[in-house]
Amino acid sequence: MSQRVVVIGGGGAGTAAATIAKRLDPGLRVTVFTEFEDIAYSPCGIPFVHGGEIPRFEDLFLSTVERYVADGLDMRMETVVTEIDLDRRVVTARNEHEGFDQLVIATGFTWEKPDVPGANLDGLHYVKNIRGAMAFDKLLDGVERVAVIGASPLGVEMAGNLAQRGLHVDFLDEGPWVLAEVLDPEVAQPVQESLERRGVTLRLGTRVEAFLDDGQGRVRAVATSAGELPCDVAIPCLSKLPNTALAAAAGLQVGTTGGLVVDERMRTGVDGVYAAGDAIEVPHGLTMLPVRGLTGSHAYAQGRTAAANIAGEDRVYDPVWIPWGLVGGDCTVGGFSIGETLATAMGIPYVLAEGVGVSRARYFPGAQRTHVKLLAEPGTLRLIGGQLHGGEGIKERADFLAFAAKRGATLEDLAWMENIYSPPIGALFEPIAIAAQNGLAQLRSAARGSAPAAPSSSPTGAART
Amino acid sequence: VSAVAGTRQRLRDRAEHHLRAAAMEDLRARRPAGTVAPYRERGGLLWRRVFVPAYRRLPWEVKARAMHLLGMTAERSGWTPPARRPREPWRPPARR
Repeated sequence: MSQRVVVIGGGGAGTAAATIAKRLDPGLRVTVFTEFEDIAYSPCGIPFVHGGEIPRFEDLFLSTVERYVADGLDMRMETVVTEIDLDRRVVTARNEHEGFDQLVIATGFTWEKPDVPGANLDGLHYVKNIRGAMAFDKLLDGVERVAVIGASPLGVEMAGNLAQRGLHVDFLDEGPWVLAEVLDPEVAQPVQESLERRGVTLRLGTRVEAFLDDGQGRVRAVATSAGELPCDVAIPCLSKLPNTALAAAAGLQVGTTGGLVVDERMRTGVDGVYAAGDAIEVPHGLTMLPVRGLTGSHAYAQGRTAAANIAGEDRVYDPVWIPWGLVGGDCTVGGFSIGETLATAMGIPYVLAEGVGVSRARYFPGAQRTHVKLLAEPGTLRLIGGQLHGGEGIKERADFLAFAAKRGATLEDLAWMENIYSPPIGALFEPIAIAAQNGLAQLRSAARGSAPAAPSSSPTGAART
Repeated sequence: VSAVAGTRQRLRDRAEHHLRAAAMEDLRARRPAGTVAPYRERGGLLWRRVFVPAYRRLPWEVKARAMHLLGMTAERSGWTPPARRPREPWRPPARR
């Protein structure tokens, strides 16, 4: 008799687990439960539809329910799983029981809600569901002032895109610079400048204290530590919180980040029960400390890992080095692992290597400056983190650096790396190599007790703890 | 979520919050352009005045070892640490 696989969740991890398990072992009977009407679309594209860069929400769909059904999956749309019974190996949805031999929990995340009065008023919008976004987009046609709360990656994208649309955007955050939890201040600065050029009003160091009612149950203003800001709608973009209530109620272990605990094969502590995506925590490659709230590509890869193991392969998911990137206004920023802020917070010693290069040959139209900042372990000079900003090529460099760090590359390796020189796509001197060479030059100067050669004003090469 | 798991989550969350806040102050002092004073929440005195300075006083190797021994790292959940290739510490090239 064929194995029954139940997948709870229709996001990146859930769809990857379902489709790939079925592909690897067509004999599996795979059932997918999702609470939503739609599946297989990219929620990450939503801010760019609001901003008009992507013309239609329909463009975000990658596949259809019918396609999944044609591939042999049993799709249970708009069906909420209310209970998991691990002893009887059944899930309950709409008061009906569905048995499983193997289960994948891919219940994703919910956005943190501001813990202040008025947080339940109409006019507060959370970016997640595509149908909700479609309705919100129509509402945006009739509003003038928007308050975006939280300088998270999503907050930066929403603020920039809504300003591009011509709305008055107040962008609030308690932190000292945007993306302060992941980005270093000098890397955040060009993002802030770009947002301001688009017309975003930055209100950093500002706490939201309440959402004020217009008398009809709708938000009319945000009360903040810096005064009252009128708004027609407010968009909280705070932390992603893992959806673990269902799994925790079933007795599965929740870790110190609030995510479900899994091993490197995406197995929970219960035989035949897997979890993947935003609901779980995975270790950071540098520290082995669990982290969560990663990207859609991480969720998809975790779903693939669970699928491969369900289908009988022995597939291990590696600790993560977290390459990331985003477009803030007209500036692209990215990085991997840790930056100076996080290294300082954790007390991880590092040396810096910084440099600026160009994305194409200097004379080629469209060439843009690429700023690279690398962190390396003192002594071995093993790469442990980095951040970049500029225009084109940031994503590819962040991906490359994360992989290089995972494989133990050092500043010496990067300083002597090979690179493509082709005027329209790459300059003679690779910005990463420039940064590494600068860092080594600084260390060499420091070791000889002479003044650093370049760049003299930066702390490049100096060991910090 | 059990009371123990909930407490561990809250402790980690608070510890990270205050360590990050202290780090942001350091970075802001070093590179002030484009930054503002962060919102300073009330409370958290013990975290700011006791925990953060005590944590900072310990070398990273000690902290990393302690986190491992206390079961805060993922090896206990069945994860394999990334292979570390032994290398000679980097030294500036010798002069000719």
